[in-house]
Amino acid sequence: MHFEGTDRYYLNPELREIVNLAIALEKPLLLMGEAGTGKTRLAFEVARSLGLKMEEARCKSTFKGEELCYVYDTVLRLNDSRFGSGETGRNVNNIWDYLSFGPIGRAFLADDRRILLLDEIDKTDSDTQDNLLDVLEERSFIIREINHKVAARHAPILIITSNAKRELSDPFLRRCFCHHIPFPPPEEMTLIVRLHFPELDAGFVEACLTSFYRLREQGFEKPPATAELLDWLGALKVSGAGGPGAGRELRHAGTLLKRAQDILKFRGVHRRDRF
Amino acid sequence: MLGFIYRLQAAGIPVSIQYVLELYKALQRGLAADLDQLFLLARLIFVKRVEHLDVFEQVFASFFLGRPPGSRLPNWEELLADKPFEEWLRQQLETGQIDLNTIREFDHEELLRRFRETLLAQRGEHHGGHTWVGTGGRSPFGHGGREGGGVRVYGRGLYGTAQRVIDRRNYLNYRDRSLLSAENLRQVLASLKSLRPVGPPTELDVDETIAQTARNGGEIELVFRRELRNRTHLKVLLDNGGYSMTPYLALVKTVFNHIHDLFRDVTFYYFHNCIYGEVYLDPPRTQPVVWDKFLGDSRYSRLLIIGDANMAPAELMAAYGSLGRATTERKPGREWLQDLKQAYPVSVWLNPITKARWDYESPTIRMIQQIFQMEDLTLGGIKQAVAYLNLRGLAFERS
Repeated sequence: MHFEGTDRYYLNPELREIVNLAIALEKPLLLMGEAGTGKTRLAFEVARSLGLKMEEARCKSTFKGEELCYVYDTVLRLNDSRFGSGETGRNVNNIWDYLSFGPIGRAFLADDRRILLLDEIDKTDSDTQDNLLDVLEERSFIIREINHKVAARHAPILIITSNAKRELSDPFLRRCFCHHIPFPPPEEMTLIVRLHFPELDAGFVEACLTSFYRLREQGFEKPPATAELLDWLGALKVSGAGGPGAGRELRHAGTLLKRAQDILKFRGVHRRDRF
Repeated sequence: MLGFIYRLQAAGIPVSIQYVLELYKALQRGLAADLDQLFLLARLIFVKRVEHLDVFEQVFASFFLGRPPGSRLPNWEELLADKPFEEWLRQQLETGQIDLNTIREFDHEELLRRFRETLLAQRGEHHGGHTWVGTGGRSPFGHGGREGGGVRVYGRGLYGTAQRVIDRRNYLNYRDRSLLSAENLRQVLASLKSLRPVGPPTELDVDETIAQTARNGGEIELVFRRELRNRTHLKVLLDNGGYSMTPYLALVKTVFNHIHDLFRDVTFYYFHNCIYGEVYLDPPRTQPVVWDKFLGDSRYSRLLIIGDANMAPAELMAAYGSLGRATTERKPGREWLQDLKQAYPVSVWLNPITKARWDYESPTIRMIQQIFQMEDLTLGGIKQAVAYLNLRGLAFERS
């Protein structure tokens, strides 16, 4: 099982080695870095390249961890016990008809090895993170209602992403392979752009990249990242612009800068003139 | 290979046996075919935080490529808080090479110069690592420091209280990662809970539903309740000024880091020695927080104060006692602290000085104890502090 880049995704050779090491040693791979540097994208590409199915869990701050394994629908069962399950084929006496599995449960129960993506783990409580890692390390969880242990048939390849909004706990970090994805330098960015827009003229791309990196250096609250750059180039292409424009006349700046404050700053509006 | 691992550890990267086993397992399986792969492999296994990346690269380069360890700029604050310096000073005092009275006459330049001289003289015994030796006499401590008995260098303040420890920019940044690890501490802190119903009622109360349904003659009556979640809002006040806190730097750093990692809803504030109606958001104490704002919105917060409570009695009791040289603050520190306690009924003072020494260290500790519940910064002390906070919090939230 060896992961190579795909035709749609430029893979940094270092990152390729890292992914392969994590797969070989069966360790969870924790990817950190700025938003828009392709952390989540990588999981999809690994799945595509290896031809594996993927289970994704997009974390929310309200998660307790258990719902990623299974959900037991008490209300439905109560309802069925009162009104009958009718045509649905559910049997009120069989709890399994009222259990549904979350991404972790599905990855464990699948007949093939799957990629399991835990996206933006830093959104959850630290208790939740620890619980999740216990589950993932032991590759099993228990359905409390019936004290039934679900063990993984095949260890999933685990990819975790974090925007590092909040520090993750030490035990959590200890169990993962951690990799911080740096922002790609211009040379790499050119390759990335080439993959997505092979038809664009090299001079045009260079001009755009120059403006882009200059913009990044200006210290915006949310500096534009790869995802924004690709959006921007797409917008320029569709509108048939001959060049990126310069200074405040930069075309489609809205695709690069997202925050109102950043846009105002870009346009040169001073704080006190706004009202 | 083991040599490399020990070098990593010596450089301050936390290494666990598990990592070592992982590394050997990977090597056995031939996953490190060349130096580049070994670099990546070792980095993945050993570096868990971005902060360690730089050090790791240096150690790797020096071990496998024979490069001299990069010369990083010395950190004078750390140096002064550092063990070698403290030990040197103690030794000098004990052997009488410097006596207590003359030490007060020295400024930092002078002390550091003597320290360096000693170190250079006995360099043979020092096995590398002290890269700051000999980097010249640049001192960040720009103040004259002779006023009122001199700046307190010999940390614990056993020799009376410096009247005014003035340089405002002279702060210690606790936020720097500390190398001390205290696993149990995390568990203790994690038990600080404030479970509170939050959000809309979405959780099915199974027991109540069954009871209501039975009462309803079998017609299903769903009962929902609001979820209980830990919503501890924690405010931490750190004394980060003056040298009296210097010996406890490592300790406080550890606690700080654990608190920081553990609580989602935590704000840190800084103060210097005693509180006079102002606390600060940043370690250098440049962004003051308005006192009323700090006191408002306090009923549901837990307040932790970390400080040695060791100050000149005048700072606490007298009008115009503040350390700020040009203070116009008439209200004595004690009254400010009482206000604070009133606003934050669920609060604890954590003192890095061990409990047994409180009575000897400073009379002000006892005075502050009359206002705040005080525990020391040991595992046991923190345990008690957390228990106290939980108990107080419970009683307070019920009322």
